[in-house]
Amino acid sequence: MSGFFTRRLIQGVISIIGASMIIFVISRLSGDPILMLLPNDAPASMIEETRRNLGLDKPLWVQYLIFAQNALVGDFGNSYRWKMPALKLILDRLPATIELALSGLLFSVAVAVPVGVMSAVHRGGWIDRIGRVFAMLGQAMPAFWVGLLLILVFAIKLNWLPAFGHGSWAQLVLPAISLGWYPVAAQTRIVRSAMLDVLDSDHIRLSRALGTPERLIIWKYALRNAAVPLLTMLGVYFAAMLGGAFVVETIFAWPGVGRTVVEAVFSRDFPVVQAGVLFTSILFVMSNLLVDLSYGLVDPRIRHGR
Amino acid sequence: MGASMWRGVPWIPLAILAAVGIFAAGGEWLLPFDPNELDLGSAFKPPFWLEGGDFANPLGADNLGRDILSRIMAGSRVSVIVAFYAILFSGGIGAIAGMIAGYFGGWVDTLLMRLIEIQQSVPAIALALILAAALEPGLWTVVVVIVLTYWAWYARIIRGEIMALKNRDYIAFARVAGVGTPTIFVRHLLPNIFNTLVVLATLQVGQVILFEASLSFLGLGIQQPDISWGLMLSDARQYITNAWWAITMPGIAIMLTCLASNIFGDWLRDRLDPQLRQL
Amino acid sequence: MLLSVRDLQTHLHLKRGVLRAVDGISFDVAEGETLGLVGESGSGKTLTGLSLLRLLPKGSGRIVGGSIKLDGQELTTLSESALARDIRGRKIAMIMQDPMTSLNPVFSIGDQVGSPLRNHDIARGAALRSAVVDVLQRVRLPSPADRLGDYPHQFSGGQRQRIVAAMAIGCTPRLLVADEPTTALDVTIQVQIINLLRTIQADTGAGIILITHDLGVAASLCRRIAVMYAGQIIETGPVRAIYRTPSHPYTKALLAAIPRLGAKRTRLVAIAGQPPSLIDPPSGCRFAARCTQRMDKCAEAPPTVTLSDGHSAACWKLV
Repeated sequence: MSGFFTRRLIQGVISIIGASMIIFVISRLSGDPILMLLPNDAPASMIEETRRNLGLDKPLWVQYLIFAQNALVGDFGNSYRWKMPALKLILDRLPATIELALSGLLFSVAVAVPVGVMSAVHRGGWIDRIGRVFAMLGQAMPAFWVGLLLILVFAIKLNWLPAFGHGSWAQLVLPAISLGWYPVAAQTRIVRSAMLDVLDSDHIRLSRALGTPERLIIWKYALRNAAVPLLTMLGVYFAAMLGGAFVVETIFAWPGVGRTVVEAVFSRDFPVVQAGVLFTSILFVMSNLLVDLSYGLVDPRIRHGR
Repeated sequence: MGASMWRGVPWIPLAILAAVGIFAAGGEWLLPFDPNELDLGSAFKPPFWLEGGDFANPLGADNLGRDILSRIMAGSRVSVIVAFYAILFSGGIGAIAGMIAGYFGGWVDTLLMRLIEIQQSVPAIALALILAAALEPGLWTVVVVIVLTYWAWYARIIRGEIMALKNRDYIAFARVAGVGTPTIFVRHLLPNIFNTLVVLATLQVGQVILFEASLSFLGLGIQQPDISWGLMLSDARQYITNAWWAITMPGIAIMLTCLASNIFGDWLRDRLDPQLRQL
Repeated sequence: MLLSVRDLQTHLHLKRGVLRAVDGISFDVAEGETLGLVGESGSGKTLTGLSLLRLLPKGSGRIVGGSIKLDGQELTTLSESALARDIRGRKIAMIMQDPMTSLNPVFSIGDQVGSPLRNHDIARGAALRSAVVDVLQRVRLPSPADRLGDYPHQFSGGQRQRIVAAMAIGCTPRLLVADEPTTALDVTIQVQIINLLRTIQADTGAGIILITHDLGVAASLCRRIAVMYAGQIIETGPVRAIYRTPSHPYTKALLAAIPRLGAKRTRLVAIAGQPPSLIDPPSGCRFAARCTQRMDKCAEAPPTVTLSDGHSAACWKLV
């Protein structure tokens, strides 16, 4: 177990280093960053001097090492637009993004678990069939369109919930639903098939034979077994939420990392883009790592090293 | 093959895909209106079944009076072009990488797996953002992003298939008999993974369309005056309170196209390569 | 009489047709008595056990005729909720075949053994805990009080079967249905479990139905045996009578198939042929096709002939 975990940890670190290389190289594709830092009419001597000061006269791989070294101590440079350290800007916005991602995850699980369970219990019944139709639809609707439709119906036509902003519970509802919408289908499928397996197992048959009420059999004894595969996937889904947050935050004017990075792209604010993307990647790798740890939390067999 | 090949074909999804293809290929002379023609008199004209709507603009008009139906039809071209090139290149690169890694194994294989892991540690949309910041956003940026994101998906699956294949007797035989490696690839390996490639490509269509729409919506994809469904939604968002149809119609076009290609892909997978059902 | 089953018919409605899995069987179990229900797999013995609890395969299984009376109470017409509340685990409990899969892997054994006690409102809170410890002591699980929080994978196969037994006897049921309780275990552990069932019976006075394909196990534990073949009971009687004077050709063949200590090394006699399909069973004797003593009359259903007190068999040769 610990050997396996160490290996995954090393793989994770390699992935993050690789990601930082990708980010660095792509950023340099746009051409000379000097020209973006200085006014157009800057004299050649000034350009030369800035270039030397920033180490931009060195070979690319040296520049990467400087970038990596600075990134390691949290220095991504200052945001051109906000005139503050890019990392601080990202860290300030991070809690809002995590709040949104967790809420989206909560929404998807809160829908997927009951629907998956009921689809398995009444296999081929109306919940199962409607669930399958919704799964097909869900996979075909982009998150941003779901968000727009939600705004159209619940904010504009019905005026029940606010369309944007951050701070109150009501403002969280629509963004969380549009973010959590897409993975519902996959999660429902995981719960349903796990539940079908468990309901057919000997221990559930024994539970029934000993008079355990059906309600407890389904929601207690079977569900905890069926939850194992879903729980171990939660890290992956959390990571997917981080990716989706870029779009959803933009629609709902959510003050998180996603919207900040999207805006930074338009103002060519490279330090912020680099810091934001690298940070998202680190979170991404970390939540995938957590998957491997989480097995033990839900399954006592693995907790005891078997 | 023959008649049984077509048993259970999902006709409606196939018809939708055909329509999208025809609109994309047919170009301007199929469209009721020039999709970029302004007609401020018709601005915010609702669809025909609502008060004030008519059959001149059956799905209504946008804030500049442009016909929404014509724009949806014209927008299908971008979806088809992006899907075509993105799938061609991601499938091609992924298949070649997967075949080489699976066949030769060793350090080539390790290198590929590491690359896949690194690629998967950057969320696709974040990759798109940084690329869009570095390059000019546009159709080709979208294609590049999708290729960078999806080649690994192909590579991983093809690698697995090749590893299972290469130990089959007839391939071992061919190697012992001194058949050249290029010949083995083209004559023996490629035909065996062909079905898988077709299925993967079909299943990717819906995802490519969603991805292009999302990028264009964020302003990182297709740029004006080109027309894309995602871009239409991005425009319509500004006047969401005035014209709900401008928000819903292009979205329905995206949804139907994705739905159709997903259903068709599922059917094709069950037909050609049932082992891929895990996907 | 504790349990009295009359002309029980259980059908499985499959795509291929209606399978008459249990086709008109009758038997009794007295208090403190052990009845062995013996037969090959597919003979309907397990479905007979499940019919008593009405735990038939969802959708396909159905009791279509006959009666099951426990202490005079008819079970075939009882509502599902009353069955769960008053019968299953309370008056009739079941021990399943495989102890390795009969316990829920993600719940502690304390929770699982306590579950029937909780569900039938026998004990709660601190009383529940001591009741669980008590019942685990009764099945001879070593130091039970320390192990309530442990999970099934931390126990050996024999220990798990003891835990399963503890779940079954927690509510002191009147009848225990043990379906192949020893098949999946090593021989030495089989003996322990058989002894355990004996002790449980002595403690609680429960009736036991032992479902097994193994005549040896049945003989060591039962006073009476009913032999099932193709959904019917073809011979029933006291263990001694069946061993000394097996009367139905099938019973004889079964007994001949048991390797016996002390006897000269005989070849294991397998019975040639397959049991008939129960979707469209033959109208006469169901064993006829495999029987070495077949007669023309066997095309008609054989009568049940009483041979001695409590010993009877269904065969034309006995008429």
